Amino acid sequence: MDALLASAGPLISNNKKNYKGKTSSSSSSNYIKKQGPTSHQTITRKDGTKIDPSLDSILGNTRIPSSFHQSNLATGSGSGSGSGSKPLISDLDLSKIKDKKLRSKLTRQDLNNKQLILERNQVNDWINKSISGSKGEIEVEEELGEKTWRIKQNEIQNFIGTSNKSKKFDLKFEGMGSYKIDYTKNGRHLAIASSSGHVATFDWQAGKLHSEIQLKESVRDIKFLHSEDFYAVAQKRYVFIYDQNGVELHKLKQHIDPTHMEFLPYHYLLTTVGHAGYLKYHDTSTGVMLTQIPTHLGSPHSMAQNPHSAIIHLGHANGTMSLWSPNMTTPHVKLLAHRGPVNGIAVDPSEGSAGRYVATSGMDGMVKIWDGRMWGKEVRQWHVRNQITNLAYSGMGMLSVGGKSGVTIYKDLQEGNLNNTPTPYLTLPLPSLTCSSIKFCPFEDLLCIGHEKGISSLLIPGSGEPNFDSNEADLYETYSRKRERDVRGLLDKIKPELITLDTDFLGKINESRGGETFEERNKRSFRQLGRLERLRINGKADENEINQLESENENENENELKQNTKEEKIKRKMKGKGGSTSRYLRKKQKKNIIDNSLLTMKAKVSAQRKAEETKRKIASGEIIKETGALARFG
Amino acid sequence: MISRSLDDHLPSSSTAPHPLQRNLAPHLHPFQKPREYARAMTAVKIDRMFAKPFVDALGGHQDGVYCLGKDSRRVGVVAGGGGDGEVIVHSLTLRRPLLKIPNAHKGMVGGICWTSERQDGRRSMITAGKLDGNLKLWKSSAFTPGQKSNFNGSEFASGSGIQENLDSTGAIGENGLNFDEDDNEEIDEEEGGGLNIDSKVRDELGEKLEPNMIWTNKNGFNGIDHHRTDGVFATASNTVQIWDENRSAPLSNLQFGSSLETVNKVKFNQSETSVLASVGNDRTMCLYDIRTGKAERRIVMQFVSNAISWCPTLPTMMLLTSEDHNLYTFDIRNLNSPNQIYKGHVGGVMGCDWSPTGEEFVSGSYDRTVRLWNRETGKSRDVYHTKRMQRVFDVTYTPTADFVLSASDDGNVRIWKSNASKKLGPVSTKERQAIEHRQKLIERYSTEKGVKSIKDRRHVPQSIHNATKLKRDMIESRKVKEDRRRDHSRAGREKPKAERKKAVIVEQK
Repeated sequence: MDALLASAGPLISNNKKNYKGKTSSSSSSNYIKKQGPTSHQTITRKDGTKIDPSLDSILGNTRIPSSFHQSNLATGSGSGSGSGSKPLISDLDLSKIKDKKLRSKLTRQDLNNKQLILERNQVNDWINKSISGSKGEIEVEEELGEKTWRIKQNEIQNFIGTSNKSKKFDLKFEGMGSYKIDYTKNGRHLAIASSSGHVATFDWQAGKLHSEIQLKESVRDIKFLHSEDFYAVAQKRYVFIYDQNGVELHKLKQHIDPTHMEFLPYHYLLTTVGHAGYLKYHDTSTGVMLTQIPTHLGSPHSMAQNPHSAIIHLGHANGTMSLWSPNMTTPHVKLLAHRGPVNGIAVDPSEGSAGRYVATSGMDGMVKIWDGRMWGKEVRQWHVRNQITNLAYSGMGMLSVGGKSGVTIYKDLQEGNLNNTPTPYLTLPLPSLTCSSIKFCPFEDLLCIGHEKGISSLLIPGSGEPNFDSNEADLYETYSRKRERDVRGLLDKIKPELITLDTDFLGKINESRGGETFEERNKRSFRQLGRLERLRINGKADENEINQLESENENENENELKQNTKEEKIKRKMKGKGGSTSRYLRKKQKKNIIDNSLLTMKAKVSAQRKAEETKRKIASGEIIKETGALARFG
Repeated sequence: MISRSLDDHLPSSSTAPHPLQRNLAPHLHPFQKPREYARAMTAVKIDRMFAKPFVDALGGHQDGVYCLGKDSRRVGVVAGGGGDGEVIVHSLTLRRPLLKIPNAHKGMVGGICWTSERQDGRRSMITAGKLDGNLKLWKSSAFTPGQKSNFNGSEFASGSGIQENLDSTGAIGENGLNFDEDDNEEIDEEEGGGLNIDSKVRDELGEKLEPNMIWTNKNGFNGIDHHRTDGVFATASNTVQIWDENRSAPLSNLQFGSSLETVNKVKFNQSETSVLASVGNDRTMCLYDIRTGKAERRIVMQFVSNAISWCPTLPTMMLLTSEDHNLYTFDIRNLNSPNQIYKGHVGGVMGCDWSPTGEEFVSGSYDRTVRLWNRETGKSRDVYHTKRMQRVFDVTYTPTADFVLSASDDGNVRIWKSNASKKLGPVSTKERQAIEHRQKLIERYSTEKGVKSIKDRRHVPQSIHNATKLKRDMIESRKVKEDRRRDHSRAGREKPKAERKKAVIVEQK
């Protein structure tokens, strides 16, 4: 019996002390010691190192690959060289959590996360390191007064290889009206639509035309759906969906007078907004209209989606920009961006921003950069001379501002002196033309401009993300891989309910209990409270901890922001006139009748006030309270 | 300028795989969490869609099956003891009886166990009568069909070369069916049981079969368990008795003090093999050591325990099934409160068994359900029931942990998968990887409402559903009442007692 007890592992219990006493006194414990080390004793070796037999019990029979040895594991230094690197340490403060198992589990999770992020970065560095070490932008000798914005397209064309020369091209369609353009997600296919009804889709790299149709009515926008097989066209009255061959598949009658369209590729939602100002979400995988939300702000002047949160941004005639999701009938955010209609919105998808920075332009000639974490004030603003019509962000975070008679490209807008007007990176003059639509080609150093005389594809070195991921957007997609992607995409289709401003909310603790009144909440006994509430009452809840655990975000600013808002929420309660006794007194006094009950009540109130007064004075130190034997005499 | 070479991005030949380029930077993979969540939803739905736990029912009993005898050294054989004294040895692989002993006992069978010989062919079965007070030891070649063993001459001789393909057979797989014709004839002539499909011959053999050994006692036996290695077994009657296989009288009687309770079940510890535990009618659980022949410790609980089981991997861990619908695990070093309470049944829990890994266990209840549990969590992982299954009296895990067996009142032994949605049969590497990936996803998002509701939702019969609701309401109102009483009594007078402290009344030494 005792042998059984002794051979088992350590016991975690409250009365550990008692137990220890018992075994030491029992006779059989001596016998066990002779048997050699039990599983939780360490053995000291000759060279001074210690071995834990329970840890190293399999070491004799197994060999860990050298890449997994502690000294060779990836660590925080990021140097890559294994020897001498420190092991990862969790910096969570879990001292408040009593449960040992939970604590170790959380630590393990945290370490795992850190390790994974580290390994991901190292692998990515290794795969996608640029050869020259630069971003591929134009470099000039600034000491000699050379400016990048003075460089013209044909100068660039002279410097680059032959394979890239053909990427600069113009398609001239005279007298067809101004053109709208759209790229597919991998940037391989291009759709163009003129305001007079000329629609074409083609593989611009191979020069292969997929479809070309003359609709003979005004067309306001064109958008590819999830692949190049389908595209939606916002026509005079309704939205139509065509297939790759230009065959009309659907007429979406619910979308009346559409002016702008966006397609959310991961949610399979076609979003349109029309002259009436109704924002409509249409599920293209099921064909069901999801919601239509009245914006109450009239016909919008611009529309953009945030590719990282699927939030739709609308720019309105009164200078406001509003952020929408299908889950709310009111905008998530509504801000006065410009003194005049907002006619251009673009969201920065690049690595540094990941959907955080938004650029807007207005008829007032201003361009403003906003930070999605704090909408209160713009990050940067400047005035542009020509009238702006369009904005677009590239994969590397370059902003192109298109307007009358030219397009200007800016880069590194979040850096440098934010009060200055930024110097342009490139200027692309379009004499006597107004650009009606601009788009950067994904994963290429190209900008496509739609204008009154067709479209022009221009070279912008360093604008495109050079390293694509075949599992997200494959530039060289084969037929079988495309089929696979279609099916996978539908299986992984995200529910529209998950569209939120905070993309990281999944898996966090939801504190609020919905649909509960104040009385119901107060009536619940301690036992019926939620776990977090109970911990809070016991003073064991560590809210900062919880926040930290959930947000795998390395961003500290965000955390600080959260804490600040939490603190603001605490309100001091003040005693007002609403107390029952004072109300009673007030009513009685109004009647001007003095009776016994009023007198007693008055006496009670005054005594109460007096007691409070003395209490306050004692607390502040004005009166020193008698504590001796005489205290009882007052 | 970006310039890509087609050589890097197109397959080198028409049959070569398409080259993939990866960029793991998070900004190229938007909506990572929602997409993973969508995958987890699909995974959990697939998991529930393929959840078909019922494999087969082994019939043949004339009355209800009240005890199961698992041979822990063999996968494919289990014996069921009926209410009419009939014992049937079932083959799980053939899904039919190997041998039927119609009148093994007069009245109900109290317990069945297998002896501990290392070779399959030598092992025999001991049955205990609940009413007639007999213990019988049975030996037959039909228990190990398809084996080249001859019992005629040297049953107890220390065999040399008797068993050639033993221990490897486990049960009667394909190997068993393909043996030589000579042996086949031999067995057919001699025995007629085992692999023989002819049920008439088999039944005749069973009727003729005489026990090798009979022990008698004044009191009936409620339970029996065999020592892991030695030829010693313990029985539960009005005391705990230790018997040797070769002696006619019990080696010793074990009792705690002078208590006169009826003992319900006994179980030997699997690691420290001379320690055994019993549960008795006086709501007790008692620990004994057969080397000293003394009762060591005893606890008295609020309700009577029906069965007991030792964890095979944690030597100090034991599981009790209680009449109060709960199961309790105890660490025997700290008997004054259970380690964990497992709630979920709505009837008294009649039987339990650990999985061979000691991470999970199964329980069968009077509420006609079988539940599977994780050692760490107090809620059941899964619940099994069928329309035809009546009150469950005994359950066991098979030694491979793939299946769970339940013995019920309706006279059937049922085979269930221990993991309801697991695929039987060979699984390719790709498929296994996909399954593992899905499991990980489910685990990761199992706290999220959408996944959780699908994962945890089980359809149970209306009666159980209603009973659960009623029970919940009753407990809730009782607790609310307690709260109110506490609110209106002097502060500190009535302190709330932890649920785990309530279970044990007293620990005696």
